[in-house]
Amino acid sequence: MRPDPKGAGTVHQAWALIRKDLLLEWRGRSRFLSVVLFGVVTLLLFSFAVGPDSVALRAGAAGFLVLALLLSSTLSLAESFRLEQEQRALEGLMLLPVSGTALYYGKAIGSTLFLLLLAPILTPVGLVLYAVELEPLRLAGLMAVWLLAAAGLSAPGTLYAAMTSRLQSQDVLLPLLLFPLVVPVLMASVKAAALILSGDPMSQLTSWVALLIAFDVIYWTLCGLLFPHTIEEDL
Amino acid sequence: MTRRIHWSNWVGLAGLILLLVGSAVGLFVAPPERHMGDVQRIMYVHVPSAWVAMVCYTFALVCAIAFLLQRTERWDARMTGAIEVGVVLNALLLAQGMIWARATWGVWWDWDVRLTTSLVMLLLFAGILALRSFVEDPERRAVWSAVTTIVAFVDVPLVYFCVRWWRSLHQIQSTPDTVDPAMVVPLRLNAFAFLFLAIWMISRRADIERLIRRREHVSEPPPLAIEGGPHA
Amino acid sequence: MPEGVIIGGWNYVIAAYSLTAVGLAAYAWSLAHRARRRADDER
Repeated sequence: MRPDPKGAGTVHQAWALIRKDLLLEWRGRSRFLSVVLFGVVTLLLFSFAVGPDSVALRAGAAGFLVLALLLSSTLSLAESFRLEQEQRALEGLMLLPVSGTALYYGKAIGSTLFLLLLAPILTPVGLVLYAVELEPLRLAGLMAVWLLAAAGLSAPGTLYAAMTSRLQSQDVLLPLLLFPLVVPVLMASVKAAALILSGDPMSQLTSWVALLIAFDVIYWTLCGLLFPHTIEEDL
Repeated sequence: MTRRIHWSNWVGLAGLILLLVGSAVGLFVAPPERHMGDVQRIMYVHVPSAWVAMVCYTFALVCAIAFLLQRTERWDARMTGAIEVGVVLNALLLAQGMIWARATWGVWWDWDVRLTTSLVMLLLFAGILALRSFVEDPERRAVWSAVTTIVAFVDVPLVYFCVRWWRSLHQIQSTPDTVDPAMVVPLRLNAFAFLFLAIWMISRRADIERLIRRREHVSEPPPLAIEGGPHA
Repeated sequence: MPEGVIIGGWNYVIAAYSLTAVGLAAYAWSLAHRARRRADDER
């Protein structure tokens, strides 16, 4: 891979990668639908775990939604590099003049978009199951939190997925590495979502959203810097 | 045939002696604390364990960065030692903290900020050790664990602040911070004790890692001719 | 902070100290054991 001194080239490459992945995703949309279904199943399982107690369900609604997002993300992240791995396309990608940085951001943005697309389906299902009433403006706020959480999961998730896709036990290692790391994302997005769902009496929403944004900024930068190291032996 | 004793073994011995002395002072000489009585003596092992675990993880970060810059085996070996020793101390401090919580609050777990953060830290860094065990290629293993170490370390302050805000919403008691001057002596003794013991343990673990690497180099097939070779 | 003094805390103190001692000793032993095993493999 030749180094890319001009940032514009990287952006162009990243965009090309995103388009490729989205096209593949659209062609094989059964995978997306399967992940959606998986998300719905987890939402249902949380209800069964708690019981038909609408008060408890409503109180935990934000947490259940974020957890469903988290569990779905392990599936989508694991898949994001498995396709390349199975068809040895990663080495093929490496032969093209695509910089490691472009590859990382292309994949990470693609993953974020994938997770974002889960929102319009999982959120209504969750709101219905957990008997939560929500005005449209609040719903927009919830979507924003979902986006920030998806970004927070995708940044380290893409880095870890790239590494673990080359290993035998990816299905264990990816969640094992990712889950402790994204504790701040989990906590902040659950708190923010809960405040949106139930009203925000003490204006703590801004602090939690600020924490989410801080995590996203730090990890999108850090993982982007470190990613080229993890694939370099394929260069 | 005389064998020179490595400096780290002397440090380890010093650590052991300091630990015995410091613990003795902490157990028998230092006065009981005003409110907590003798239970407070747990602090003389708990605080040093926590402090040195953090030092180990920080050293692991330094080694990780150094490795990515210099790509020498030694940095990977030291980093592995630092992570493993850090994890051991981390596990110990969690156990001590739970005993403390049981003694003072009657519950094994009370979501104390520092204890919760250290539980996440344990999972973060133990995960790196797990990753290492699955990667066969030594160079790749070293690079990947260095990267993961940096990523994990950066997370620690984020987790800490998160848990702190999360907790401040629900009122809780926290572990006392103020230290009676009479208690400084055993604390300081044990702090150095744990530090010296950690240095010794990291050195031994790094040695083991180097031996492992040497074995892997021996069993590696010879590299194929690539550029500039007769078939190029 | 609870008022008054906690009495009978020595059991917990002993538990914590012994656990620490056992933990450190066990790890140190495992280091020595692994080093010996590797050194034996070398020969």
